[in-house]
Formats: sequence, C-alpha cells, structure tokens
Amino acid sequence: MTTDTERVASGVRGALRRRVRQGRDFVDETEPAALAAVVVAVASMAATVVGFLLVSSLTVLPFMVAVAAIGYGWIRHQDVTARVVTLMMTVSTILILALIIVFIFMESIPVIAYESATVFGVSVPGLRMFIEPRWDAVSEPVRYSMVPMIHGTVMVTAIATAVAAPLGVAAALFLSEIAPPMVREAVKPGVEILAGIPSIVYGFIGFTVLSPWASTQFDLNGQGTYLFVGIVVGLMALPTVVSVAEDALSSVPESMKSGSLAIGTTDWQTMTSITLPAAFSGVSAAVLLGVGRAIGETMAATVMLRGVPRLTDPLYNVFYGQETLTSIIARNYGDADGLQMDALFVAGVILFVTVLVISIGSQYIEWRMSRKFGGEI
Amino acid sequence: MTKETAARSEFVSRRKFLVAAGAAGATGLAGCSGSSSDASNDASGGSGDSSGGGNSGGDSGSSESEGLDTSLLNAEGSSTVYPISNKGSSYWNSNAPPSDGEYWGSNSESTVPGWEELGEPDMMIADYFASLAGFEPTEQRSEPPFPTTVGLSHSGTGCEAVVDGLVDIGNSSGPITAELDWSEERRDEEVVDHVVGRDGQPVVVSSDVSDAGVAQLTGEQIRQIFQGEVDNWSDLDGVDYDQEIYVIGRSEGSGTDTAFRLNMLGDADAPMDVDTRQGQNQQVAQLVQQNDGAIAYMALAFTSEEVTPIGIDFEGTLYEPDPDAENTIFDSEYPLNRDLHMYTKITEDTPSGTDRREAAFLNMFLTDFGQQLFVEDVNYIPLPTADIEAEREKLSDWIDY
Repeated sequence: MTTDTERVASGVRGALRRRVRQGRDFVDETEPAALAAVVVAVASMAATVVGFLLVSSLTVLPFMVAVAAIGYGWIRHQDVTARVVTLMMTVSTILILALIIVFIFMESIPVIAYESATVFGVSVPGLRMFIEPRWDAVSEPVRYSMVPMIHGTVMVTAIATAVAAPLGVAAALFLSEIAPPMVREAVKPGVEILAGIPSIVYGFIGFTVLSPWASTQFDLNGQGTYLFVGIVVGLMALPTVVSVAEDALSSVPESMKSGSLAIGTTDWQTMTSITLPAAFSGVSAAVLLGVGRAIGETMAATVMLRGVPRLTDPLYNVFYGQETLTSIIARNYGDADGLQMDALFVAGVILFVTVLVISIGSQYIEWRMSRKFGGEI
Repeated sequence: MTKETAARSEFVSRRKFLVAAGAAGATGLAGCSGSSSDASNDASGGSGDSSGGGNSGGDSGSSESEGLDTSLLNAEGSSTVYPISNKGSSYWNSNAPPSDGEYWGSNSESTVPGWEELGEPDMMIADYFASLAGFEPTEQRSEPPFPTTVGLSHSGTGCEAVVDGLVDIGNSSGPITAELDWSEERRDEEVVDHVVGRDGQPVVVSSDVSDAGVAQLTGEQIRQIFQGEVDNWSDLDGVDYDQEIYVIGRSEGSGTDTAFRLNMLGDADAPMDVDTRQGQNQQVAQLVQQNDGAIAYMALAFTSEEVTPIGIDFEGTLYEPDPDAENTIFDSEYPLNRDLHMYTKITEDTPSGTDRREAAFLNMFLTDFGQQLFVEDVNYIPLPTADIEAEREKLSDWIDY
C-alpha cells in the first residue's frame, strides 16, 4: 500500500520534473520577442476570462490586447504563436464545458434544498424528488418530483431502443455483408441523409397524423402515447445505429471471415458466429449512441406528449405519454420562474449525468475494441 | 515570383480574417457584458435620455424636437398581446399617408374606422400620433418619427424584460403581480400598467360534444371538469353523451393558466387535474379539432367551426357566445375575460412611468381607431369608454386630451 503511494508520488514528481524541464527548454529555445508576445497573449486572455466572469464592461480591453498580441505573433513568429493559440482553444473548450456544468448545478441548488427528505433522522437534500411522484408547481403542496419524467424518459428510450437496435443492426449487417457494392454505395448516404431530417418534422407528423390515429385505434382519451413517441424517436436514432454499426462490421478483418468460410461454413454462419461476435463491441457502441440520441430527443417528444408530469397507470402502460426530462424543459422554460425554473435545471443535471455515463460507456467499448483488433478503428 | 505573390496574398487574407474575427468577437463580448452588467444604464440609454425635452415636457404642445429621444421603441412578451402590439407596430412603422384609405386616413374607396373621431388629421399615421406627444413629423413613408419593434416571448419574460430595462414595453396577458409574484405596492412603485384591450377566455368544446347538444355549462360544472371530479360527459346533469372528457389545460404557471385558475377555480393556486397541457393557442385549437370529447379554454381569436365556444352560466347569469345575446362572453363582466397589459417601467427620468415615445405609441391604441383595428379586428374585446379615459389619464404628462 505504502509502496503504491510512493510509486505514484515519485511518478508524479518525475512527470512534474519533465514538464518543468520541457518548459525551461521552450523558454530557452524561443526568441525573447516571440516569448513576450505569447506571454502577453496568454495573460491578457486569462484577464479576459476573469473580466467575463465578473461581468466587467472593461473585458473588451484585455481581449483587444490578446487579439493584438496574437496578431503580432502570427505575423512575426507564426510557429510559436500557432502552438499557443491551439493550446488556448483547447483550454477554452474545456473551460466552457466546466462553466456549463458549474452553472446548471448551481442553478438547481435551491430546489434540491427545497426537496429535502428525512431518512432515519437525517435530512437528505433532493431526495424527495426521487421518492415521491408528485409534480405540481402551482397548487399546494408544491412538489417538483423528477420521478414521472425519469419514468417517461426510460419508457421512450426503451421503446426507441427496441425499434432502433434490431432494425439498425439488421440493416447494418445487410449493408456490410450481404448487399452488393452498388446497393451499399446508394443506400449508405441515403441512411445518413435520414439523420439530417430535423426532429420537428418527425414531431409534426407524429402530432398531426400518428397521435390522432393511435387515439382512435386504441380508443384512448385524447392523444399522446409513449408508444408512438418511442417509435418515432427510434426511427430518428436509426441512422446513427446503422451508420456506426456498419462501420464496426466492415472493419472486422477480411482474413477472419475468409478463414471461417475456408473451413466450410455458410455465409450466414460466418456472419452470426464470426463477424457479429467480433464486432460486438462496435455494434453495442452503435446502439448506445442511438440510445443517447433517444434520451436527448426533445422536439418530437415535446409536441407529441401530453405535458402533464405524472406516472402512467399501470407503470408499463405505454398508451399514455406524459412527459420526459427533455420535454418538460422545452415546454416550461418560458413560463417557469423561481423554484419551478430551478427544477428544470435539475432535469438538465439528470440528463447531463445520463448522457455523460453513456458517452463514457461507448468510449470504453470503443477502447476495448481497438485494443482487441490492434487499433483498426 | 508567382509563388511568392501567392504566398503573400494568402498571408494577407489570413491576417484580414484574423482581424475581422477578432473585431466580431470583441463586439459580441462588449454587447454581452454591457447589457448584463448594468441594466439600469441600458434603460436610460434606450428609453430615458429625455433630459433635453423630457423634463420640460409637461406642456406637450411645445414642439421642440431637438434632443428628443427618437431611438427604437421595443416591446416584448405574451403571445396573446402580440397580435395587438405587433399590428400597431406595423401600422406605425409604415407611416401611411392620410390618402391611403386602407391603413390610415380616407379616400374615395374606403375610410379607416374611427377616422372622424380623430378629427381627420392631414398627417401620416405615426407622424400624427407622435406629434400629439411633441415629436416632429418626418412626412416620409415608412419613416416614422421613431421606429418600433415587438418581440414574441411569454408574459413572464416580457415582465422581466421591462423590469430589467431590456425593453421599453412589456406585454403580458396576466397581471405582473401574478407573473412575477409581486405585491401590489411593488407594482405601483416600479411599473405602470397600461391596459390596451381585453381577452375573452371562452371555454370551447370539440364539434362532437357540441353536436351532442352541449351548448352551455354552469361554472360549477366546468370547475368539476377541470378539477377531475367528473370524467365522462354523461356524468354531467342534462348531458346525454357517453364519452370520456379530454381536458386540455395550459402550460403550468403561464398567464393563461393563472388567469383561468383565478377566475374559474377561485384561486390562483387552485389544484387542477387535466389530461394534457399545451403552451400555445394554436396547439390547443389543433388538439380540440383532432380529438373527441375535448374541452379547453383559449383566446377568442382561435375559435372556429370545429372549436366551438359554449355559454357559461355564472351564478344565474348566462353568458352566451352569441354577440347579440343579453349577456355575452365578450362583456367585461364575463369572469373569464382578462385585461391585456402593456407595462412600462418607472425610472428616475420618468417618474410617471412612461416616456414620450411610449406615450405616443400607447396613445394610438387608446383611440376608437386603435381599438377597432388593433383590438377588435384581431378578435379581442375593445375597452369601454370609461376604461379608455382612465388609461389616457396615465399618458397625460405628454399628451393633451
């Protein structure tokens, strides 16, 4: 245990020493004028960020200095300046992400404090949002439970996955293994165009055609069902799944398939016992990406759902569609204020965490896959 | 040589790009920090600044136009007030001549309503109303003494925008006290409420329900429906129609929702149990058309053949959708009617709450001409004479009536 800690500590020390040495080398090698320009640029850019955070009207001054310094550096010492500018761009991307995270968490604090619940004598902030299903922003008792929206998002995502995963994987398998090259060349771009249709178009068709039809067919009271929202969102996620899964399948080395065929298997047997298992991680990453798209889908869900946050009865009743985490934000941001607005930020936080987990998950799968096949993808 | 030239030209264009991008970024940043850092400053830039003509503006007959603020007058807010405000703004910006006949003034073919009451002025539309508040006429088509613009958002957003000084006029379909949770004292201290028209909130039903003979309900029955005490049309007294009720509400906490709870259910916080909530009148109208057994409430402007308004019996008085009836849903006594507000902010420069430009623009709505064209023609209810006089009183710092 101690040795572990020591090793880590010495590793950190070594890395630090290397960094310092690199930095010293950089300072030694660079011309003083170039060094001055980039130092001024970095310092004034940092001042710009500070000014921006303090909402100062003087922010423009350091920004102008930074622009001037970069402009000068670009003309006289392009090499060094380009290095620094690209570094600053990268840092700013991370900084923006960090600011967004801090902001949505800060905004949601008041409602988390309001929704505290006591468990075994300990008051847990925010807990009541996840154990009581009541959402009512106007009449007493005012409650901002996230349970109905989490339920809605889970329902829509599950149905969408049930639609997108089998269809998408089947289509990818066909495109990559069965279809003649000409068909593939024509269909693959077509599938990608499908991904470019704006979601409101799907939502509009759902609202004016699918929902009223479902309402009549299933004898529902009014329109808006998780079932059809799920189907529509699944169709929207389909192109992502097809495209990514097809890439994964076609990157399985030809030698593996040929080897399998050489020992006398049929094409179908090769597909099911060699290609699919080999590309399994890639295909699951494709499905995960599709799921991510389904969770984040807003417009279609907002126009098709009922907009009344409550659980369906029974829980697996897919014929009534109430509200999802995304649609409650889209529907209420304009009229909400105070705690209701903060509650919408909580929905944002939940979405953020979920999508983060999914994207880390799919990256982990991709990493495993590239380790398995030696970095082909 | 050519190579060198090419390289140099590339060099120049890169530099140009960098400079241009930098400048654009700087402008954006400056605009951003300016507006959020010091809202009150912004307000004085946008709406105040009347130190030249403003302070001496008590007697508005004097036409000193130098030093008058002729910057853009902007309004923002509720989609319900938007049709009135936007139509007024379009007319204003067109600055049509009195010979136009269709939009302003009179000619051999047509005359605008309320033209005689205005005294048939020989001036262009915006010139005329602006000159009442002391602005110089421009006498140019499409060039009003100052331009106006109206943004579309929500009641609460409009109220916040005017309080923060982001816009001159905040449009709201609910009172600011309910929208921002203010006390009445705070309202009187910070803003002035200009009521420009009235919105009837008829209760509408889908065509299958009206075909089944439902032409009127009592207030109590509507309360039962919207609070979830009855689920089927046949549960109501005197209704023989076996169909589940599809109850359509409005966005939780929106101006329309608050007004309905207050006027129909007795309390702005009254509980409701509805099947769906929609943000916009268009969506509500569409849902009523598409579904059987639907009941909803929405702005008068969106009713149609398939979205039929019904009469309501409030404590013995029957308000009917027919405009010729004894008591109609257009009357100001009808409990679901609500005032449409345009709020202006009280600042140090304008203790009375309205500045010269706001007064000139708002006054246009408080004439027979404005009430007819901008209120009645977009299916809202014009103000009675007594209310118009009370509203004009708020502008009397700038305009002699």
